[in-house]
Amino acid sequence: MSDRHSGSLPGILAMLIAGVLLGLSYNAIGLRSRHPWGLDWIGRDKLAELAGMEAVGVGGNGDPGSSSLYSGSDDPFAIGPTAQLPEIPAVGRPVRIELSALEQYFEADAALIIDARDRFEFEEGHIPGAINLPYDEVITDPVVLESVDTGGRPIVTYCGGGTCDVSLSLAGELFYAGHERVAVYVGGFPEWVEAGNPVENGPKGPGGES
Amino acid sequence: MPVLLTHPLVVRACQIATGVVFAWAGLAKIGDPLAFAEQIHNFRMVPVFAENLVAMTLPWIEVVAALALLLGVRARDGAILASVSLVVFTAAVIAAFARGLDIECGCFGTADASRVGVIKIGQNLVFIALAVGASLRPASRS
Repeated sequence: MSDRHSGSLPGILAMLIAGVLLGLSYNAIGLRSRHPWGLDWIGRDKLAELAGMEAVGVGGNGDPGSSSLYSGSDDPFAIGPTAQLPEIPAVGRPVRIELSALEQYFEADAALIIDARDRFEFEEGHIPGAINLPYDEVITDPVVLESVDTGGRPIVTYCGGGTCDVSLSLAGELFYAGHERVAVYVGGFPEWVEAGNPVENGPKGPGGES
Repeated sequence: MPVLLTHPLVVRACQIATGVVFAWAGLAKIGDPLAFAEQIHNFRMVPVFAENLVAMTLPWIEVVAALALLLGVRARDGAILASVSLVVFTAAVIAAFARGLDIECGCFGTADASRVGVIKIGQNLVFIALAVGASLRPASRS
């Protein structure tokens, strides 16, 4: 028996691999994530999206039509520029919103803009009028998410652009907390600044609380 | 090492007990990966993109380990795998408890409504003891 003294690892690895393979084949790689923006089981959409964003680079050129990451998006509900204020629809999941559409919402004060970054980044500078719900803080507190007062307006979340995904995650949590019209501004704060839009700094908590 | 603990029959009994626990836990979750993914999400420890992967594969890994333990085929490897995973599960339960999350354990599927708490931690410590007992090398009888 002494020759089997260190022989456990291959058996354990084989069991792990067998379990993973059985699980994947049993589920035929079809399970949707509980998160509503269409992640499949391994986050295929999201990973492709993040990879695309890295290739395009933070900030881009502010032109959402041509080279931006949205043009290759397979999101049929992505909100592009329109003559009137575009609608943020209730389609059973958050949708994405482009810079031009967000600017229209910003000027009309027609959406509650939520910054998902941490408090320090928020105080350094944010979209004027935005409130700060740091994703890491609010995920453990569903009450805050449910009690966000939108004044009947849709919600737009954003974070630091690039590969940040807390805006996506926060939008999903807000949706699950009962807010039906939620949009994610994937370009984030860097693209907003790059396009020459106004910036505000200083602290502001969620809805006057904290 | 006390002779009693490494007695082949004691080790075998521990293996069967651990195997029953793992077969029960795995089979309870295997048919409803979506519900299990929700429960994993509630622990807020696994990255969101990996939640479904874990939900689909973890029950099967448990069942494979249970089969090894129950059938006695590479039972010691299965016991070590069970011990390590139980330590990870227990750490997750303790962390969730420490963060004040009042969530379903999800350990034995949706039919088991037990919540994260002291009782669950104690129960897991017993399971760990069984699994470690099952991973001991039996003393040769000769």
